[in-house]
Amino acid sequence: MIPHAPILAIVLPLFAAFLMPVVGILARRRGIKRAREWFAIAAVLAELVIVMSMLPVVWGGQVLVYQLGGWSPPWGINLAIDGLNLLVAMIVSGISALVVIYSFVYMGRDHGLDQYYTLFLLILAGMMGVTLTGDIFNLYVFFEIMCISSYALVAFRRNWQSIEASIKYLIVGSLGTSFILLGIALLYGMVGSLNIAHLAQKLPLEPTSAIIVPLALFVTGFGIKIAMVPLHMWQPDAYQAAPSAVAALFSGATATVGIYAMVRVVYTLFGVFAIGIMLAALGLVTMVLGAFMALTQRDLKRLLAYSCISQIGYILLGLGLGTSLGIQGGLFHLFNNAIYKTMLFMIVGAIIYRVGTSNMDQLGGLWKNMPVTATLFGVGALAISGVPPFNGFASKWMIYVAGIEAGQAVFTIIALIMSALTLAYFLKAFNSIFLGQRPKHLSDVKETPLPMMFPIMLLAVLCIVFGVLPQLGIDIVRPAQEALMNSGGYIGAVLGGA
Amino acid sequence: MDFNYTIAMLLVALGLYCLLLKRNLIKLIIGLAVLTDGIHLLLISLGYRTGGIAAIVSGEMFSDLPGFAARAVDPVPQALVLTSIVINICIVAFALSLTIYAYRHYGTLDPSKLRRLKE
Repeated sequence: MIPHAPILAIVLPLFAAFLMPVVGILARRRGIKRAREWFAIAAVLAELVIVMSMLPVVWGGQVLVYQLGGWSPPWGINLAIDGLNLLVAMIVSGISALVVIYSFVYMGRDHGLDQYYTLFLLILAGMMGVTLTGDIFNLYVFFEIMCISSYALVAFRRNWQSIEASIKYLIVGSLGTSFILLGIALLYGMVGSLNIAHLAQKLPLEPTSAIIVPLALFVTGFGIKIAMVPLHMWQPDAYQAAPSAVAALFSGATATVGIYAMVRVVYTLFGVFAIGIMLAALGLVTMVLGAFMALTQRDLKRLLAYSCISQIGYILLGLGLGTSLGIQGGLFHLFNNAIYKTMLFMIVGAIIYRVGTSNMDQLGGLWKNMPVTATLFGVGALAISGVPPFNGFASKWMIYVAGIEAGQAVFTIIALIMSALTLAYFLKAFNSIFLGQRPKHLSDVKETPLPMMFPIMLLAVLCIVFGVLPQLGIDIVRPAQEALMNSGGYIGAVLGGA
Repeated sequence: MDFNYTIAMLLVALGLYCLLLKRNLIKLIIGLAVLTDGIHLLLISLGYRTGGIAAIVSGEMFSDLPGFAARAVDPVPQALVLTSIVINICIVAFALSLTIYAYRHYGTLDPSKLRRLKE
């Protein structure tokens, strides 16, 4: 492990973010081209290396506790990294690296790229902070950094779509974070501590009726961030209006962080598996509504946004079942969802880059122009619908089996039907973009540029690898599942040093 | 003390009311600010102690640390509120700048008119 890796993972993108304007100015003065892009790529790759360096220690079964300033918990702020944190950190840093590489060409036509990369690195810092911290107020602060950067990223192009989407996102999102703050205030009033492990140790001693209010506030607050139905109304607008690279980052990384915060708070902090079935039911509603709304969309990005809601439903269903297989399936689906959702948004971005629209009514017959892109879209669509041999099948299968094992066969049946529906709307999208009549003005559309193709291809390969060898994926998520179910171990590891 | 909590919850409720029912972006932002201020008041009240002293140890207080601890207010909520105020300023400033852009694009501040994306 790199010494001080946990704090470096947060500090590095934070500093890089504020160095970015300086880099931009220097590059302009000296006439260096693409300096900002290379700087951002270097920062994100360094981030990935730092996160990966923690892998052997954490997978060795150890909970990595890093005390800031040498103050032992519960007095000081500490960073605590167990299998779950590391899984999310891996997803976040990996997806961010690919999205930055993708942005190299995709955002090349935009102005104000200093701000874009500054915000990008800030959102990365926020996500890393939420993921790695062991202090609930610290989590809130990083959550706000993440949220504010994402509002700004949605509004980045400042046209009417992005302004409208950003305002909606901001109002709803700020309400959500206020709820989280209120929840933290109530917890502090009850227990007098902000350390997650210390809170988790003390909360079971409090009366249930007192705990339920902060729990509800947290679930609502984080539910807004992950666009859980009925708190999802901001999400399709934001994903549609944001640049595709940003939408890819949101769907792959930010949503993952939101789910992490949700399960960390629900499972570790409150330790109430009783909420599980409610989480599963909410997941079910989310899944059904997302799928039905996706069916009727004409804009490809909006369709993907609704399908994102639907997939979040699967993850919540798996996690909410509360059995070890269900949690494993949910986390595996979280992992897979990050892979193919990012990939699909990148493909939409490629289409927009070449054609200029994502409205499916104006597209058609692009198969002849972009055969590789079309194939990759097919891979993503099949993976997300849960068709073997792609990764979506493996994780969805685990959730189905977990549903039956947990005695909730109805859940499994509904999930299966929704899977078929997913296939239906993706086939419809594939049909209207790549097949059918090609409008005349699209006849000279070119294939996706190679630097944009590279991250998409890499993700497609991952889709197939984890589909053919699901055991590999399960091995990756098992430490996370064990960590999530062993909150006693987490508490002991954090407070043990005190 | 109970009075503080009542006012705090009242502010939260007022903010929520404003967010749910007002039809003007500026008022929505004011509602958001009122809501967070309510939470701040709640947090500050948690650490309040009538006749308490600031939680800064200096001079002769070192000789009587338990006595100091018995009289000092809880400094943690103050730190939390300070952080939260800064965050809230960011949100309000950003929201207002977005509102300016929205007015330029739409010529109105009515959030229910901002629904072109759905069409």
